[in-house]
Amino acid sequence: MKNAMKDTDQLKLDQYRDRWSSLGEMSGLVALSEQPSVAKLKEIDLFDDYDNKMLEKLSPDISLATWEPGTVLFEEGAYIDVAFYVVKGSVDIYLQGRRSPSAAAAPIFDQNRTMMIQTADLDLEKKPAPKPEKKKPTPQNTIFLSTMDFNLPAEDAVRLGSGDVFGEIGAMSGWPQSATAKTVTKCLLVQIRLPALRKMRQKSKAFKNKVDAIYRERSLLPQLRVTPLLTGCDDAFIESLAGKVDLVSCDPDQVIGAEGEPCDGLYIVRSGFVKLTQKVGEGELVVSYLPKGGTLGAAELLLEAGGSWIYTAASMENSELIRISESDLRDLMAKYPAARSRLWQAAVDLVKEAGGSRRDVSQSEFLESALEKGLLQGNSILVIDLDVCTRCDDCVRGCAQTHGGTPRFLREGDKYKGFLITRACNHCNDPVCLVGCPTGAIRRAAVGEVVEIVPDLCIGCRTCARNCPYDSIVMNDTGMKWPDSAAVPEAKRGTPQVLATKCDLCYTDPAGPACVRSCPQGCAVRVGGVDEFRKVVARET
Amino acid sequence: MSRPGTFALKKWVRSPAWMVAFIVGAGITLVALVANAWLGSLDPGNAWGITYGSAAAFFMLAAALYGVRRRLLAVRVGASQKWLLFHVYGGALFMLLVFAHTEFRLPSGGLNLWLWWLSLIVTVSGFIGIFLQRWIPRTLNSALETEVVYERIPELVKEISGRAEELAENCPPAVREHYLNQVRPNIQRPQRRLGYFFDITGGVRGRARDVAVLSRVLSRDDREKLDELERLYRTKLEMDAQYSLQTALRTWLFAHVPVSIALVVVVALHVYVVIKY
Repeated sequence: MKNAMKDTDQLKLDQYRDRWSSLGEMSGLVALSEQPSVAKLKEIDLFDDYDNKMLEKLSPDISLATWEPGTVLFEEGAYIDVAFYVVKGSVDIYLQGRRSPSAAAAPIFDQNRTMMIQTADLDLEKKPAPKPEKKKPTPQNTIFLSTMDFNLPAEDAVRLGSGDVFGEIGAMSGWPQSATAKTVTKCLLVQIRLPALRKMRQKSKAFKNKVDAIYRERSLLPQLRVTPLLTGCDDAFIESLAGKVDLVSCDPDQVIGAEGEPCDGLYIVRSGFVKLTQKVGEGELVVSYLPKGGTLGAAELLLEAGGSWIYTAASMENSELIRISESDLRDLMAKYPAARSRLWQAAVDLVKEAGGSRRDVSQSEFLESALEKGLLQGNSILVIDLDVCTRCDDCVRGCAQTHGGTPRFLREGDKYKGFLITRACNHCNDPVCLVGCPTGAIRRAAVGEVVEIVPDLCIGCRTCARNCPYDSIVMNDTGMKWPDSAAVPEAKRGTPQVLATKCDLCYTDPAGPACVRSCPQGCAVRVGGVDEFRKVVARET
Repeated sequence: MSRPGTFALKKWVRSPAWMVAFIVGAGITLVALVANAWLGSLDPGNAWGITYGSAAAFFMLAAALYGVRRRLLAVRVGASQKWLLFHVYGGALFMLLVFAHTEFRLPSGGLNLWLWWLSLIVTVSGFIGIFLQRWIPRTLNSALETEVVYERIPELVKEISGRAEELAENCPPAVREHYLNQVRPNIQRPQRRLGYFFDITGGVRGRARDVAVLSRVLSRDDREKLDELERLYRTKLEMDAQYSLQTALRTWLFAHVPVSIALVVVVALHVYVVIKY
């Protein structure tokens, strides 16, 4: 674990030399033109489909950058909110091996998700990682992660040139980049930030088709291969299906299907969350939700051909879905009875859950509350049973004593059914706080889903704190001042050093998080998500 | 959250295993006492008595270490919860052993008498603490919407008071008068009230009652201002309830900790005297 992190740090140091570099001249940036003029954008074929008015709207989120050869644009595992379009030059996309597929999937939570790290994981620090054997690229040894932007054979690279787009899937879905991008020659790149990327997709069918085609080419097929629904299907069938499915992008609150209206296919959630509601009396109840990998429309299409939506399905955030048409679904079920059974099972589970929510309104209230409070996103949520908590604040003091005197959370937050859902970091599935960090100081710690901030890289820009929807990142005055050094921007020198700080789950400590360990009443617990929280609530009430 | 008015045993006895261990420990002590009475006499100076006394001193010192543990939370010496459980059950066993050591009666001699009374005060204050620690959190959680960190209450009340003052300045005369007479005297600083111990919601409801009457005679806009003022006032009153009960959770320690320290000193003196003379 530590070895892998060291490689990354070394790489970062080689590239940046100091924490300010990404804002300065040492990062390989030759020229940067922010908010380019409409005339300048019109010179680039990427923007052919957009009129002047649209280009004016896009301009604030677009920059033109010229990079030196050998510049690392982003690393494997980085979260970026930028897509790149190559105007001139070439870029290599390769796996640097920071995360092996098994390491990426390695669970760090135990059954109760209260202990964050296994001793076995710590032992990895002492043992050098075995060198992977070189294999010929085959579907079997192709490195594929659900987060994959590029379907890369292990230890191989893809060279992109003029007219190619990359980084867009990670940017759109909030997934980490699963490959490293490095310029091979001097490159002129159009860098498109997420808001512009979304507008461009909405406005131009050609651009949407281009991005979708890239997704189909680089990611869709391997994703479909590992989709549980299609387990056991032969490759030729999946390949043909990959060519036929629709890729659907939804804005927050966009309705995918309205209760009572005809259902137009089976949807699989690629990213984001989908909320399912049903009409009850004059109002609506939240009956379930679908996370990444969830299927929607199964019950509707299984019960009758061209059935109607049983629920109203709406996207909670910017979501990406795959739609399989009814006829393709029927082909699938005719050819593979196992897939049919799996679909039935998923449909029955969903109907059961919905029924439960209708019978017991508190279940619906719980789901609604969980959606609001971000519990669906969380991998490790600190909750406190207020029936037992003596308000002694030992949890906060324990946290402070473990982290050099500064606590990384306060015993404050939202109350639900007598439980306090604290604002300690939830270590989200899709951590938006990682997006846009100029130095990569906030990152996955390479241990499960833990998100950490590396103080040596933080420049106190507050981007992560502003991005976090749950106020889990606080700016902390370290009591020191920025040094009077040439490496530090002049305006910052001598000013108070205020850095971002947040919970890191005490991931290096095999004894677990200090907050839980320090609670004398045993009422502070870490829950691994909404289902676990529901169990805790049920047990204690 | 348990339903108000119900007795949830699991909320009072958090660890049945420790309770069982205590019952076993107490049982062994009582069996030893019966055997002691059967085979010899109850006397602090004989082998039986010295054993009770030594065991009591051991449990007292071990239980007292919890105070040290609380100051060293980052040190990996087991979960705090286990330390507290030992503190509670070990402390209870300590008192039983003290009674055994003193033949279940008041000892003679100034130092011994001090020791006996200090032990009793520490144990009783400990039990009061346990009661408060079980009862107050449930009471706070049963009806209050606001959850607040004790140390932040003065700062938050000041903020609420400022916002209320600002709002009242833009209110019609009737609302402003209500604010000046009813709200302002109670909103400016945190107030502890005994009444919250008897009815956690009563104080809040009672004080906000007049607002409903006033609301009927106002225009829609003014009613909104009044509602906002009332919301601020209710939040402040809930903070008062938190302040009152959380103060009790903190102050009982002043009855427990200093006496405990005195007890440790007197026990050390007692052991020294016994060994020396």
